[in-house]
Amino acid sequence: MTAATSGFTETDMGTATALRRVLRVAPELRRGLWVTVLLAGIGTAIALIIPVVIQQLVDTELLVDDSIDLGNVVEGGAVAIAAMVIAMLVRRRALVRLAVRSAAGLSELRVKAFAHIHQLSMLHVQGERRGALVSRVTSDVTAIQEFMDWGGVGMLVGSAQAVLALVAMMLYRWQLALFVAAAALVYALLLIWFQTILRRAHDRVRERIGITLGTMSEAISGLPTIRAYGAEDETLDGVHDALEAQFRTEVRTFSLGAGLFSSAELFAGLITAGVVGLGVATSLGDGLTAGRLIAFLFLVNLLVEPIQTLVETLSEAQSAAAGVRRILNVLDTPADIVDPGGSDTVLAPGPIDVELTEVWYAYPPGDEYVIRDLTVSIAAGSRIAVVGKTGSGKSTFTKLVTRLLDPSAGSIHLSGCALKQIGFEELRDRVAFVPQEGFLFDATVAANVRYGKPEATAEEIRRAFRDLGLADWVDSLPAGLDTQVGERGSQLSAGERQLVAMVRAWIANPDLLVLDEATSAVDPALEVRLRDAMEAAITGRTSITVAHRLSTAEAADEILVFDEGRLVERGRHVDLIAAGGNYAGLHRDWAAGTGTAAAM
Amino acid sequence: MSAPLADRPTLNAVFRRGLALIWRLVSMHPVAFVLGGLGAAAFVGAIVAAAVVVGNVVDDLIIPVLDQGASSRGRLWPAMAAIAAVALWKAIGITFRRIGAGWLQARCQADVRENLIDHMLGLELRWHQRRGVGDLLAVADSDAGGATWILAPLPYATGTFLLLVATTALIFLIDPLLAVVAVISLAAIIAVDVWGSWLMFNLFEAIQRDQGNVGRVVHESFDGALTVKALGRESYETQRLRVASETLRDKISAIGTTWAGYRILVEGLLGLVTLVMLILGATRIRAGAITSGDLITIAYLFSLLTIPIRVIGFVLWDIAHSSAAWTRVQAVHDAAEIVTYGAMDSRDVGTGAAIDTTPISFSYGDDPVLRDLDMPIPPGRTIAIVGPTGSGKSTLATLLARLWDPDSGVIRLDDRDLRDFARSALPGEVALVAQEAFLFDDTVRGNIAIGGSPDERAVAHAAALAGAAEFIETLPHTYDTLLGERGTTLSGGQRQRLALARALVRVPRLLILDDATSSVDSSVEAEILESLKRAELPSTIVIVAYRRASILLADEIIYLEDGRILGRGTHEELLGIPGYAKILEAYDENSGHAATEPIP
Repeated sequence: MTAATSGFTETDMGTATALRRVLRVAPELRRGLWVTVLLAGIGTAIALIIPVVIQQLVDTELLVDDSIDLGNVVEGGAVAIAAMVIAMLVRRRALVRLAVRSAAGLSELRVKAFAHIHQLSMLHVQGERRGALVSRVTSDVTAIQEFMDWGGVGMLVGSAQAVLALVAMMLYRWQLALFVAAAALVYALLLIWFQTILRRAHDRVRERIGITLGTMSEAISGLPTIRAYGAEDETLDGVHDALEAQFRTEVRTFSLGAGLFSSAELFAGLITAGVVGLGVATSLGDGLTAGRLIAFLFLVNLLVEPIQTLVETLSEAQSAAAGVRRILNVLDTPADIVDPGGSDTVLAPGPIDVELTEVWYAYPPGDEYVIRDLTVSIAAGSRIAVVGKTGSGKSTFTKLVTRLLDPSAGSIHLSGCALKQIGFEELRDRVAFVPQEGFLFDATVAANVRYGKPEATAEEIRRAFRDLGLADWVDSLPAGLDTQVGERGSQLSAGERQLVAMVRAWIANPDLLVLDEATSAVDPALEVRLRDAMEAAITGRTSITVAHRLSTAEAADEILVFDEGRLVERGRHVDLIAAGGNYAGLHRDWAAGTGTAAAM
Repeated sequence: MSAPLADRPTLNAVFRRGLALIWRLVSMHPVAFVLGGLGAAAFVGAIVAAAVVVGNVVDDLIIPVLDQGASSRGRLWPAMAAIAAVALWKAIGITFRRIGAGWLQARCQADVRENLIDHMLGLELRWHQRRGVGDLLAVADSDAGGATWILAPLPYATGTFLLLVATTALIFLIDPLLAVVAVISLAAIIAVDVWGSWLMFNLFEAIQRDQGNVGRVVHESFDGALTVKALGRESYETQRLRVASETLRDKISAIGTTWAGYRILVEGLLGLVTLVMLILGATRIRAGAITSGDLITIAYLFSLLTIPIRVIGFVLWDIAHSSAAWTRVQAVHDAAEIVTYGAMDSRDVGTGAAIDTTPISFSYGDDPVLRDLDMPIPPGRTIAIVGPTGSGKSTLATLLARLWDPDSGVIRLDDRDLRDFARSALPGEVALVAQEAFLFDDTVRGNIAIGGSPDERAVAHAAALAGAAEFIETLPHTYDTLLGERGTTLSGGQRQRLALARALVRVPRLLILDDATSSVDSSVEAEILESLKRAELPSTIVIVAYRRASILLADEIIYLEDGRILGRGTHEELLGIPGYAKILEAYDENSGHAATEPIP
């Protein structure tokens, strides 16, 4: 993905840089990290005690004279057991610290990323990006969490064990230890090389899995079409082919993996043979005891085994690091519509006037302007209707006025104040925007309305419904205001969702109300009634309405007609009809009964 | 997908079900399992042999040479060769084990998936709707995969079992007293492992729920981003996520603490047992029952057990996962709501079909959607079905194409019951175009031709009739352009026109358009309907229509309300019915008129 298409700030960050940065972003991860590492090191004694005990046993008891001093053996054994139990407790402590700190740090990271994403306009501008943004906060963080719980622990414990095993070997016989270290290095490089070969094979498998998933999902979600067109056999053939192709790729990958893995095992076995050979051949006369050589046989395994785990964890670590990078990239993407904060800019009380000067706007990343050179002023207290064909820029216009988007060029003023200087608290308090979707949260009707004014009482909410002539609609719901609307409002119809969204905006008592086809799905008869109620209620406020039925425009104080991003006509209904221009054409189409051309 | 905590199966039940599942899958491909099993047995033999070889090397080479000053001549090379041979033996065993296991798992997964999709394709849409696309896809994807997971570690697990038996046998051969201690300790370790991993499994499942909660908050909040921003509630949303995220964090921390304890026990207990064996072993050496090499063999064998014994716990997880997944797969397999077909073939007579019915009733759940509806249609007519939302129009359309069957009543095409047609025969006579145009991940041509094999001219002709030819010509590879996920994306209107072409290419005797051009610009829609009319298709046409222009094209209009036919006739005749008039005229007049109408 290039920077241009992803929209994120993308930096080519090395894994080390990414790690350093994430420790800065989520300081919980860093807290007491060194103590944890130290504890993990001490805990590694669990594995190291055995070879040491064996060496002691062989060199001081079994091979000294013929008499084994059982008292010594039991005493030494007791010390070893005590040491083992302590090591277990210490390692447990290390693991607990790691689990607790990583959970805290990652929660911190998640909340930070979430809050930041809400400040990026791409979240509501580019709907297709939403899935990717969701996974930044969910699956990416989960992947890092899982890595910390499994691979991360393994890496920590494993590398501590490998280092300590090597130290013990150095103390027993450094020459032999160097041989083992060199062999272990070759072994590690061999495994890394195998991993890269395997990764390519796994990529092919993943690609196949994607294709299989696609055909299966088509078979399931397209069943009505498949059945209506008698395409069952054809579809099943497609699924079969995809499954067989995936199977073949998987078996090839398994076989490759098995071959590589077992040749690595073979190499590891040869290290042991080398230790015995070198140890025995070079032992003559210079103090390599039998016990030490035997301990070596155990220590070799303690070194080789974590190397395998470490290399296998390497790819997990890389994908966790990729997750970290993705999250950091989101955090690095500057918030594009920034709250100027509690600045002193306060809008004069009463209805708001709107002024746009030479405004241009293009959606990222393109340079195709959807608003071109727009200069318009809207008087305080006027009712404005906005009309135009699909893609004429109506909807973008409403988002610019409410600062859900910032213009690419030009300036916007509300009641004389530059829109960018108005603090969000003040802005959202005075200006309400109702989009077409009527998005509801999974809660009651009342809770959804209260979303627009958190301190609203039940009586206020009821009054808001009454204001808009919707009291009896609410009463007709199964539990009135306490009706649960379901996930995304699924228990209500699309039109009913729009009604709640309308009341939600209304209850904040805005001085500028901007509606973007806010009632497009409302039942025709109900919509007419709602419109009449609003006309009464709206007196004394400024309103901008994108009309989906031209009858709304007929009643407006002024109509703005958009075409291909430009304001082409403005005026009252009768004047525009008389002028016989763009609007007159739209109106003619609509009146002929195919009016949806103007609506879309 | 995780089951509620209340009906969690017991450990016993999981084992029983797991074994039954394993038996079932393994008996599908016994050869692969035997191959993998033999590999595992060879692997086990190699481990035991490695321990024996090390013991012998200690007794015959290391102690004599290093301690007693014997010459290494004639002893060194055989010892090294023995160690290398054992390593090779182990590598071969691993290769066979891994390939056998991988093949078995991949094969069973492909088989299970294909059977599943095959079965789903035959099930009634009623069943599909009840289950939901997302849920079914999860079964075909993750559950079918998950059910076969258990096969991957199965040979290793079988090997581990054999290894424990072999370990005990070997120690028994060395010294019965030590063997008794070994058996008791190993049994205790396994008990701790199984019990602990079961406990952990359930705890980890519980995390899934909190993880799901975080996901839900993120999804909802990002989906409603426009609303969140328009109402200025970003910080409220962040707080909402913080609560969910920190609940998850606390759960992960708590479980991490338990997990650390379990992990330490599993890793440390074997070390403790080894220490005890070494102490006891020293007394046995003193008693002359065993040699030093024997004791090293036992200690070495125990050190090689560390990893296999850990597998036991993981296998238990896999069993639990797989049997839960298999239960969900089975539930789909057990669904018996298969659509039954007759033996009748389609008839190609080149005229529109006549439809007649006995009174038909239908419901999706409790509420009847169609009530005793009787709808004869003479051949060659164009009928528009009009009615308010939820009146049953779309349901009627799907019944006519036999995507669903009525609860009672019979629909006949030229006196032939729809249910008597053979599978895939009915689509030869009836074509349904739904509002949601489903396109396959295929070329434009493939999408139009699906279910048949029309020639190039027929495809082009159908595309032209559907008003699609023009934009198809502008696509990168015209009719060979790939569509869908990995291809070009089309607009809603373009998709609908392709779907229409798909229906027209088969020259159906009954063409059903269910709001099939809703996303097409109304001027284009008018052209399409005009050209359909001019083409004088040999078809009876049923149009579920919302736009006035399309309604007026019909020879006859059926007005549906609440699942009943309230009127049938020409537009003028139906205007007398209040409901019909309201739909057609709600926006014809300006707001003043409609607003004074009483609201029903």
